[in-house]
Formats: sequence, structure tokens, C-alpha cells
Amino acid sequence: MRRHTRRIFNICYRFTGNRTEAEDLTQEVFLRVYRTLASYRSAHGGFATWMTSVTRNLLIDHYRRTKRDRVTDSLDDAMPVVENKESVARRPDEQALLGELSGQVQSALTRLSPELREAVILRDLQQLEYIEIQRVLEVPEGTVKSRINRGRIELARILQQMGVRPA
Amino acid sequence: MTWTCEQTEARLSDYLDGLLNADEWSAFNQHVNACAVCTPLVSSVAHTLGGLYALEQVEPPPQLETAILLATVGVARHTFDFWGWLRNLQSPRFIYGAVSVAATFVLLLSATGFNWRKPKLADLSPATIYRRADSNIHLFYGHSVKFVRDLRVVYEVQQAIDQNQQQNLREETIPQSSPKKEPGRTDNTNPSTPKQQNRADDISRRLEVLACEFPILSGSLADRRVP
Repeated sequence: MRRHTRRIFNICYRFTGNRTEAEDLTQEVFLRVYRTLASYRSAHGGFATWMTSVTRNLLIDHYRRTKRDRVTDSLDDAMPVVENKESVARRPDEQALLGELSGQVQSALTRLSPELREAVILRDLQQLEYIEIQRVLEVPEGTVKSRINRGRIELARILQQMGVRPA
Repeated sequence: MTWTCEQTEARLSDYLDGLLNADEWSAFNQHVNACAVCTPLVSSVAHTLGGLYALEQVEPPPQLETAILLATVGVARHTFDFWGWLRNLQSPRFIYGAVSVAATFVLLLSATGFNWRKPKLADLSPATIYRRADSNIHLFYGHSVKFVRDLRVVYEVQQAIDQNQQQNLREETIPQSSPKKEPGRTDNTNPSTPKQQNRADDISRRLEVLACEFPILSGSLADRRVP
């Protein structure tokens, strides 16, 4: 229970970039898993993969539901990088928790498109295999590889725009 | 083989994950070292990947697990699904259990002498049940004792009959000494039957008739007989 809670919470947090939202979404994931437990078939992969798939669907639903709220966020995103860095600096609790680089990477992650974001999170943060990501996202392996590659490149460009340079 | 920028970008993750073969790896390096656009791209993506790997797991708040348990198990306790409960009653295990309980109930009531044809509420009072149960137990004990005694009598009679039969059988099977036979004597154990005797009488009678009809023959026979 604790292991799954930690894993699901991390996926939700990396996807939304917000602890409160991640908590609510984690709780919602477990509720959905509890209600749809009868539909789980071991032939479709392990329980963790199935749970990740439920999480992913919920995150996409959440993304679509809160799309309107992000219009203002997109305006903030259009602001110069310096201002963005200042806005990050205005949140010292988050900075203290994640560290400077972690905060910037997390910030860049939330600016990725949801398709690329989920692929990068599952591959590079959750360390899932391609076949597992293929089952979770329900897309061919070629698409999975392509999304991961594009996600990484896009993330690097966003970080460059934010003024983060490789050490 | 020389790669283009598009090819290099498309295979960038394979390069970073070490999934390129020797030829591809060589072609990739050859292009990146010569391309002013791809060199910083590869560098920045590699460092981004390093930053992603450096991200530590975030610990969820301790109250989250409690909240999840309340939201799942707690919710399930409060919402009573009547139709689900009714569906569970149709399970074979429940039906067998119910039938067993009913059969036990009927058996116990019958043992206490409950009259099923004319049931009365007074029959279900504890005092009545106790009195009838006590009476039935004593009755059952008496019947059992009588049955065992009857069985013992039957067994003894059967045993006596068997002993008698065995004694008779033993006497019949003892061999008797046969008398000694002398030459020319019979032991008269196989006398001629009446039918054979009648036939012999009939032959002598016919010989006498023939002697009367044929005197010569009878004379010659007589001569022959008397030397």
C-alpha cells in the first residue's frame, strides 16, 4: 500500500507539479482502482502496470478538466524567462523541498504537452520498460520511443529557454 | 554513411540509452562532431536527462494513506448495496448453509417431540422442550438397551444352532470299516431289483409252457438231463 501510494503520488506530482493536486489525484486513483478492481486481468500486465494505466487515464482526464484554468498559466508561460525564474524564486518552500535544479526540471516538465510529459515521466522518472509504457499508453512501441525522444528534446529546449545551462 | 540532422535527432534517445549498434553509433558521432546545430542539442538533452535522473522521489504526506483508506474502505462501509447483498445470497455456499441450518433445526425440533401436524406455541416453550427431550432421551435409551439385549439372545440362539450343525456334520464325515469279502460271496449290498426278479420268473414260466407243448423236446431234454 505504502509503496504504491508513493509511486502514484510521484507520478501525479511530476505530472501536475502541485502537491495538493497530486494528493487529491492519488486518492482518486486509489478510489477508482478500488471500484474497478474486478476489471483487472493479470493477462494485461502486472498490477502495478494496470494501476499506472489507471493513473495515466485519470491524469489525462484531469488535464482536460482543468484546461480552462491553464489559459492564464499559458500567458505566464509566454512571459520572459527572467520573470519565470523570479516566479520560481517566489516559492521558497518548493525550492527548499526540491532544490534549484529539481524545481526547474519540474517546472519544465509541466510545460510539456501531456502526451510527451507522460512518456518522459514513465520512462525517465518511473524507469518503466518500453513494453510497460506501451501497455499503459496503449500506443505502438514506435510511438512510445518517438514520444520519449521528442519529450526529452522539448524538455531540453524549455530548460534552455529558462536559462538553465548544463553544468 | 552520413546522417542528416533529422536522423540524428530521431535517434538521439537511442544514442543516450545505448541502443545504437556500432555502425549507427559511428555515423551518429561523425555527424554530431561535424554539425554546429546537433552538438549543443545532444549536450543539452544529455544534461536534461541527468537532471531528470537526479530528481528524487517525493514523499507523500503521512495522512494521505489514512485518507485513501477512508475514501475506499470507509466509503464502502457506509454505502449499503442491497442488490449486491441479494446477489450474494444466491451463491451455492449460502444455499447449502441455509439448508443445513434448516435441517438441523427440524431435526432438533423433531427430537424434542414437536408435533409438525398440529404445532402449538406452547410446544416451543423451553420447559416443554426440556421435558419432551428428557422423555425422548430416556425412551431412546430404553429402546437401545432392549435392542442390544434382543441382539444378544438372537446371537446365542444362532450360536447354539451352529454348534449343533457342526457336531452332526462331524459325525457324518467319520469313515466306517467295511466287512471283508470272501471269494464267491457277496455282501448283498446290491440285491436284484424286483423288476429283474419278475423277468426271471417270466422266463421259467415260458420254459414250462414250451415243455408242455413239445413233449419230445421235453423228453430229450429230460434224457439229456438224466444220464
